[in-house]
Amino acid sequence: MEIKGRVWKFGKDVDTDELFAGRFIMGGDETNQSRYQEFIARSGLSDVERRENVPRNFLTSVEKGDIIVAEENFGIGSSRQQAAETLKFKGVQAVVADSIHRIFFRNFWNLGCPAIDLPGISTEFENGQEIVIDLRQGTIKNLNTGKEFDFRLIVPAWFIDMIEAGGLIPYHKSRMA
Amino acid sequence: MTLVEKILAKKAGKKVVRPDEIVEVSVDRAMIHDALGAHTIAKFRELGVERVWDPGKIVVVLDHYVPNKDIDTAKKCLNIKKFVLEQGVENYYEVGKGGIAHQVLVEKGHVLPGTTLVGVDSHTTTSGVVGAFATGIGVDEMAVVFKTGRLWERVPGTIRIKVEGKLLPPIMSKDLMLFILKRLGISGALFKSLQFTGSAINQMSIESRMVLTNMAIESGATNGIIAPDQKLVDFLESRTNQSFELVQSDQDAEYEETLEFHSDDIKEPLVATPPRPSNAVRVTDVEGTKIDQAFIGACTNGRLEDLRIAARILKGRKVDKLTKVIVIPASQEILKAALEEGLMATFVEAGAVVGPPTCGPCMEAHMGVLGPGEVCISTANRNFQGRVGDVTAKIYLASPATVAASALKGKISDPREFFPEA
Repeated sequence: MEIKGRVWKFGKDVDTDELFAGRFIMGGDETNQSRYQEFIARSGLSDVERRENVPRNFLTSVEKGDIIVAEENFGIGSSRQQAAETLKFKGVQAVVADSIHRIFFRNFWNLGCPAIDLPGISTEFENGQEIVIDLRQGTIKNLNTGKEFDFRLIVPAWFIDMIEAGGLIPYHKSRMA
Repeated sequence: MTLVEKILAKKAGKKVVRPDEIVEVSVDRAMIHDALGAHTIAKFRELGVERVWDPGKIVVVLDHYVPNKDIDTAKKCLNIKKFVLEQGVENYYEVGKGGIAHQVLVEKGHVLPGTTLVGVDSHTTTSGVVGAFATGIGVDEMAVVFKTGRLWERVPGTIRIKVEGKLLPPIMSKDLMLFILKRLGISGALFKSLQFTGSAINQMSIESRMVLTNMAIESGATNGIIAPDQKLVDFLESRTNQSFELVQSDQDAEYEETLEFHSDDIKEPLVATPPRPSNAVRVTDVEGTKIDQAFIGACTNGRLEDLRIAARILKGRKVDKLTKVIVIPASQEILKAALEEGLMATFVEAGAVVGPPTCGPCMEAHMGVLGPGEVCISTANRNFQGRVGDVTAKIYLASPATVAASALKGKISDPREFFPEA
């Protein structure tokens, strides 16, 4: 299963409070999917202009299918799933980072979006380059440099089926049908 | 196997598990609170199942936004109550009945040694204090736990944190944990388990131990855990009538690493400077830093012993005229005990505001939110940029003793002057 996209380069230590501030947690009507998604997408990375580890133009220029390549400690902190949801609803389809914290890692996969940790990977990409991830082969390729890297996922065997189903909830729904 | 490996093996129905193996375990307790409970319920409804797997295993605690602050929070709490009634969840803590979820889970005996707990909160690790596997997950996973009662987990290898000696006031377990976090860093235990052991831990109260398991997540750990001992059994006896098994690590358990500490290493109280809990410095390194707010409370340090040491420092004195001092007990049970001991009167007489049991200004949720450029010294567990309000506010983490001493002077202060015998 191949995932291809344009790279947004993030720095280190992107935490969940940065991705989705506490003041928005109780906002959004979770019983109305389209309104909820719009609210979550709009509310994420609210203080980005005061942060060093996210490109200034990310919020204005991110497009559907883009992929974040980050330095170490991505997603440190809270279990708030909105931190993962806001990236997905802004269009990010995958996160690759030198290291990813456990709850964010699980949350992002559960939304149907791969999160891949591979130490040192951030030094191999620049903003705007093209990246291809092959989940079954376990490879990440930089189309601009031609370099390819192997990764090993420590996740349940059914995770790729889950991604194909569109996330944890759709996966469980399809299994009940 | 180590303690955590033995629990996960048992709950996965396996004889042996190894670090980094993927297992599926049965869940003994699942906790939701008001901050993410309504989201969990919406996801559960999306699954299309009628009933949760076992309403007796679910604990629901309203703690972040109580009493409700606006229509959004009130609506979400109404949705939660509707779900609780519909599903027959008995362990429901309405405003005024419980307190902060992590405190309630332990003090009401909801989590037992050798069991598994998941919660929609990263500080669910706190309950590892009873020798359980306790960890945080997101709302989609919790919805699936509500349906299946099962969770997948990557078995965390165990890092043993061995602490010898005895902490003497005003040095507290918070100072010890900040010291440990400085050594580990924010990812030092990523996908690992922290197991706290040694004579210093044995001598600690259950309350003090909870600070360690609470902040285990700040090193990236999957969970924090302390092996059950007689002190824990005595603690649980009055809190549950259920029987439990005292699971211990095997004699030949393999630890991925053992980090050794001694209470003598901590020569003075510590303060974690913004924006990471791992940024510990000695209090004298930042002494004199002007503060706007001092907060004593949260699931980290809102317990009776925390309030006692703060009251000892504040008794008969006045807090700084220009500093907002906020004291919030972690639960109704603690509030009641603190009232009976006269601690709350001490805080009020000193010029602090006291709040009802709630998470308070640990995060930007409800009360004590910080404005631009404000500086807060807090007993909570996280000092990320923007965590408690404006992105330019700064949060220093410290023990209740250090926060109380700082509250008096309106600047970061060393509590040792109030302990001449130390």
